[in-house]
Amino acid sequence: MEQTDQLILDTARRLFSDHSGAEVVNRAEIGQPPEALCDAVMAAGLPLAWVSENAGGVGGSLALGFNLIREAASFAMPVPLVETMVANLVLAESGLEVADSWAALVFDGGQLPVVDNGTVTGVVNNAPGVVSGSLLVVPVSDRGLIRVATFAFDSLAIEECESLAGESRARVILENAVPVQLSPVVDNMTEDGLRQFCALVRASQIAGAFEKITELTVGYVKERQQFGRPLGKFQAIQHKVADIAGESALANAAVEQAIRMLSEHPEPFSGDNVAFLPVATAKVVTSEGAATVSRLAHQSHGAMGFSFEYPLQQYSRRIWSWREEYGSEFYWSERIGKSVANDICHGRAEGGQVWDIVSR
Amino acid sequence: MDSIRFNFPAPVIDESVDRLRKDVRSFLQEESRNGSFRPGTDCWCAGIDPEFSRKLGQHGWIGVTWPKQYGGRELSALHRYVITEELLVAGAPVHAHWIADRQSGPLILATGSEEMKQSILPRIAAGECFVALGLSEPESGSDLASVRTRAHRVEGGWEITGTKLWSSGAQSCQYMTVLARTGERNEKKRHEGLTQFLVPLDSPGVTVRGIRDMSGVEHFNESHFEKVFVADDAVLGAVGEGWKQITSELALERSGPERFLSTFIALEKAIQQGAASMEGHQARVIGSILARIRALRAMSLGVAALLGQGQSPDVEAALVKDLGTRLEQDIIERLREFWPIQLKQNFGDELHYLLSDSLLRQPSFTLRGGTNEVLKGIVARGLGLR
Repeated sequence: MEQTDQLILDTARRLFSDHSGAEVVNRAEIGQPPEALCDAVMAAGLPLAWVSENAGGVGGSLALGFNLIREAASFAMPVPLVETMVANLVLAESGLEVADSWAALVFDGGQLPVVDNGTVTGVVNNAPGVVSGSLLVVPVSDRGLIRVATFAFDSLAIEECESLAGESRARVILENAVPVQLSPVVDNMTEDGLRQFCALVRASQIAGAFEKITELTVGYVKERQQFGRPLGKFQAIQHKVADIAGESALANAAVEQAIRMLSEHPEPFSGDNVAFLPVATAKVVTSEGAATVSRLAHQSHGAMGFSFEYPLQQYSRRIWSWREEYGSEFYWSERIGKSVANDICHGRAEGGQVWDIVSR
Repeated sequence: MDSIRFNFPAPVIDESVDRLRKDVRSFLQEESRNGSFRPGTDCWCAGIDPEFSRKLGQHGWIGVTWPKQYGGRELSALHRYVITEELLVAGAPVHAHWIADRQSGPLILATGSEEMKQSILPRIAAGECFVALGLSEPESGSDLASVRTRAHRVEGGWEITGTKLWSSGAQSCQYMTVLARTGERNEKKRHEGLTQFLVPLDSPGVTVRGIRDMSGVEHFNESHFEKVFVADDAVLGAVGEGWKQITSELALERSGPERFLSTFIALEKAIQQGAASMEGHQARVIGSILARIRALRAMSLGVAALLGQGQSPDVEAALVKDLGTRLEQDIIERLREFWPIQLKQNFGDELHYLLSDSLLRQPSFTLRGGTNEVLKGIVARGLGLR
């Protein structure tokens, strides 16, 4: 990472720890919006982390943005920062004006709404970060090519819902809707490219949550005394904590590798073969690990971890929700299996070896 | 507490690394075509072929990181990494030289006398000299500090008496590194008073007996030392410092590709066989395994990069081994769904042979080089729980 990246990341970390935290997150979920946090995040320009300085943004690298996302996830941020960052990047890539409010990418990994004669029609079921007043950024299909449309929150039929973790998810219904802005066809952006990018965002969030869960669990078992000694002195507990650490480490390795690859990629939304395998790997490993990590962390915490007040639940509910989004481990592993088999069948691996593909 | 983040930096892969990989790959393909070896599972423990090791030595692929004056090529740890992973995935019979290349050579380099380095390292690099590990004992497996083998000072050297167990491949080795107690045993300071010796296995008083394992091969051994004399310069490092030497070797030993690729050859053949009809559930199982292998490889290369930066990623290395060895076993269990494993003989079915052999060998994966329970203890200590 560049030095400026590190500076931004340090600022963000300070900001998160000053204005967020377990109580803020819990209060936000039961109806007390985290206004100070919202203001601070906006004032620091974090939603524009991925937007170039020419376009009014912070000009952070792709790696910076993903690290920021990991960091935000480790604070269980109760504001749609991540969604707005992604939406703004899509806006910038398609040559549209970036948002000066919260924004949401109206895309759930499924079929895109269709644009015809300047109006957009389609339904997106599980759009994240759609909150009152946000700018809706909708990738649309124009006979198979991607354009990007924007809409005001109030102009569309929206059914608001919550994820398992209480994060906003919405069903957005577009019926001959007239966009505020409509980009020309965006070169080098494909539906699968968007899906891959968003899958890596979720994988990074899960990795960030794993770190926090490891930290919470280690802290708890050191403190909590049972049978006259700290829980962490019991070998059965030590082994659970070691397994959590293992999944966390594996998730980091996969996510970092995918971020590195995408950072070197000139077209992060192209969804080509180079990007596919590392990104799919990251989403499979993080989503698969979510069950192990949450199970062992809750078991180590006893009833305390099951209470709303203690922060563990904010992370376990998030990873359960994020693992399903933009393709679960089942979706991406099936694609990896088919893609590798396909490469073998069509002579696209040196010596016909699976290893040649795995070791790329 | 600060956040517990594990970082796995990218290895620096330059052109020379890629070129080396290609060279090793084409050599292995050629050898395999010639029938010079039959690809086997768990080849770094089960495949002993001194002739094959000599060929690798002739190509300059053993001891590549060592100084040129001792037969090495002064290449990077990553060059060695690439060689080892290509050998593993090809199922090449590499056990004869594996331990000397990975462990004993570097140990001699770090702690041996100048004469020892000059006389032994070039022979190891040439694939002509092999070394076994003398660590475990009948009463001492995971609890290594409890070793009972003793070395007494005698005129001009030491006299060693004791029994070492599970030493892989010792019957084809010329030397063994023997961990022995040289100081009085003190229950409070169990790790003190241990010393490592390089013992020629043709010394009077040494007997090596092969032990047949459940897969049917005699790859490991019981070696008995009865008043075996070694000269002063057989001591590796300082007298009494054996424990520190052993623990410092471990990060390298635990995080290498042999900790997650032991059964890859079976997976490789299975995917090749199933590729044309890979659909649905089978594709999900295969894809899930491949994703985990890729992530473990990123972790393992990350540990190599950390070691290259001079750090001591002990916890990360222990995690690679814990996760990787369980994956090696898991691969075989999951492939069973599509390729049932019933027969010991293979009737010419290469895949079945690899699967059944993997299954019969897999209990050892999570035991050798420190059981997974010991590894988890190391992780727990690293996290401050012990």
